[in-house]
Amino acid sequence: MNEVPLIEIDHLTKRFGALTAVDALDLHVRAGEVYGLLGPNGAGKTTAIRSLMGFINPSRGRVRVLDGQPRDLDIRRRVGYVGGDVTFERNLRVQTLLTWYARLRGGPSWAEINELCEQLSLDPSRKIGQLSTGNRQKVAIVQAFMHEPDVLVLDEPTSGLDPLLQRSVLGLVRQRREDGAGVLFSSHLLPEVEDIADRIGILRRGVLVREDTIANIREIARQRLELRFADDIPEGLFDGVDGISSLEITGRTAHIVVDGSVAPLIDTVAGHGVERVVTHDEDLEDIFFGYYQDPDDEPAADRAVPGGPATHGQDSEVA
Amino acid sequence: MGPLVFRQMLRERRRGMLWWSLAVAALTLITGASYPAVRDAGEGLDQFMESMPEGVLEMMGATDGITSPAGYLNSQFHSNIFPIVLLIFGISVAAWAVAGSEREGTLESLLANPVHRWRVGVERFAGAAVLLAGLALIATALLVAFRSPFELDELGVGEMIAAGVGALLLALLFTAITYASGAATGSKGWAIAAGAGLATATYVVYGLSSFVDLLDSVRWISPWYWFLSPSPLREGWTFEAIGVPLLVTIPVVIIGTVVFTRRDLT
Repeated sequence: MNEVPLIEIDHLTKRFGALTAVDALDLHVRAGEVYGLLGPNGAGKTTAIRSLMGFINPSRGRVRVLDGQPRDLDIRRRVGYVGGDVTFERNLRVQTLLTWYARLRGGPSWAEINELCEQLSLDPSRKIGQLSTGNRQKVAIVQAFMHEPDVLVLDEPTSGLDPLLQRSVLGLVRQRREDGAGVLFSSHLLPEVEDIADRIGILRRGVLVREDTIANIREIARQRLELRFADDIPEGLFDGVDGISSLEITGRTAHIVVDGSVAPLIDTVAGHGVERVVTHDEDLEDIFFGYYQDPDDEPAADRAVPGGPATHGQDSEVA
Repeated sequence: MGPLVFRQMLRERRRGMLWWSLAVAALTLITGASYPAVRDAGEGLDQFMESMPEGVLEMMGATDGITSPAGYLNSQFHSNIFPIVLLIFGISVAAWAVAGSEREGTLESLLANPVHRWRVGVERFAGAAVLLAGLALIATALLVAFRSPFELDELGVGEMIAAGVGALLLALLFTAITYASGAATGSKGWAIAAGAGLATATYVVYGLSSFVDLLDSVRWISPWYWFLSPSPLREGWTFEAIGVPLLVTIPVVIIGTVVFTRRDLT
C-alpha cells in the first residue's frame, strides 16, 4: 500500500476578507482510512473541503490529493465528491446527468451505474427537479461512488436521507474503504461518524481542536442515560459505581452522566426493576461541548441540544 | 472525449431554442412581408422623412430613406429589432454560462469532474455563439429565400448575408462581455449589468451622436457605429462591421476565461 497519504492538507489557511474560515489546518487521510471531520455549521468544514477540491485557493498552506494537484484531471478522475449544498441541473433526467458525468470521467457503463441506483432505490428516469430532497441526495451519492474512486470527499453526505438510506451510504463508504480508498467524511451528526470513522478530527472556528482514533474518543466519551425504575430507587444504589460523573434523581427516574463504559452501572442496576432506559444517542456530542463550551459561542439552532440539564445555554448566559 | 460540455448545453437548450427560432422567424417574415406596402405608400413617406433632421434619420437607421429595400430593412430590422432580439438571447445564455450556473450550484458539481475550468467556460461560450448564429441564420435565410415575394430583389444576397453576420457579431460582442464578466466575477447580476448596460450605453452614444458634439467625438467606440455606418446592407463586408467586433470579442473571452480559472468559486 502507498506510504503517501491519499489526502494531505498541510497548514491550510483560508481567509475571506477579515474572516479566517480555516486556520492552519493539518489533516492527513491514509489509504483504507475513513476520517470523520466533525463540527457544527460554520466551523470551516466546507471551506476546508472546497480547498481540497480546488474550488477555492488556499490563502496559505497546500493541499494534495493522491500525491498530486487536486485540479489535475488524472487525479480528479479518481476522486468522488459529494458537496454540501451542491445541486444538479433540475431539468435533466437522472440518467442523463449520470451518463454525462460518466462520459466526462471516461467512466462506468450504464449497467454499473444503474445497479447503484437500484441499490439506493433511485428511479433514473425521473427529472432531477421533481425529486424530493432525499432522492436528490441519492443522485449526489451515486455520481460520487459510481466510478469507484480512490479518494472520496464527502461533505455531509447523508443529510436529508432517512436512517435506512444513511446505513446504505455508510455501507458504500465501508466498501470503498475495504478497497483501499481514503475517505474524508464531514458531518455534524456524531453517531454517524462514530459508526464509520477510523479517526476523528473536531473543527472549531477553523481550528482543529482535537484529532484522535475513534477508540480513544470513545474511551473518554460521555453518555447520558435516563433510568426509570418501577419502584422507588434504593438509597445509595449508585454509590461507588465506576464512571458516573453526575447523578440526579427525581422521583423514580435517575439522570446519569457516565464517562467511558456504562458496564459497571448496568451491572449495578440489574435486578432493581429498571423499566426504561433512555439514552440520548449523542455520546460524542459531549466531547463537542468539551471543546465548544465558550462564553461567546451562540448555541447553533440546528444542533441537537442534549437532553437533561441545559448546561450549555445557561453557561453562556452566565458568562 | 469530445466537447461534452458543449454538446450537453445544446441538448439542454433544444426546446428553448425552438421557441426563439419561431419568434425570430415570425418577426423576420412579418417585417419582410410588409415591405411592398411601405414602398407603395411611396414617395410621400420619403419626403416626410427628408424633412426630418439628419440625426433622427441616423438614429432610425433611415439615412437612405425607408422606401428602398436597403433603407427599409436597415431602419425596420437590422439597426434595431434584429440585433436587440439577438442581444437579449445572447446575454441571457452567456449570463448562465458560468455565473448563473455557479449560483445554481450546478457548476461546482460539474467541475468536480475531470474537466478543466477553461474548457467549461470556452465550450459554453461557444455554445452561446452557435445558438446565436442559428437565430441569425434563420432570419437571414428567410430574407434571402423570400426576397422575390417580398420585392427585395434589388438587394444583393452578399449584402444581406453581410448584414446578418454583422448583426450576429454585434450581438456576440455583448454576449462575450456578459460571459466574461460573469466568468471573472461569478456574479450573474454583474454579468447582465455589464452586457446589457454597455449595449444600451453604446446604443445611446451612437443614436445621439448626431445631436451632441461630445458624443459625436466618441461614437467611434460604439459597436453600433461600427455595424451601422455604413450599413453592410449597402456596403457589404466592411471591416468595421465584421473585423472590429471580432477583434474585441476574442480578447474579452480570453481574459474572462483566464480570470475564471484562477479565482475562487463563489
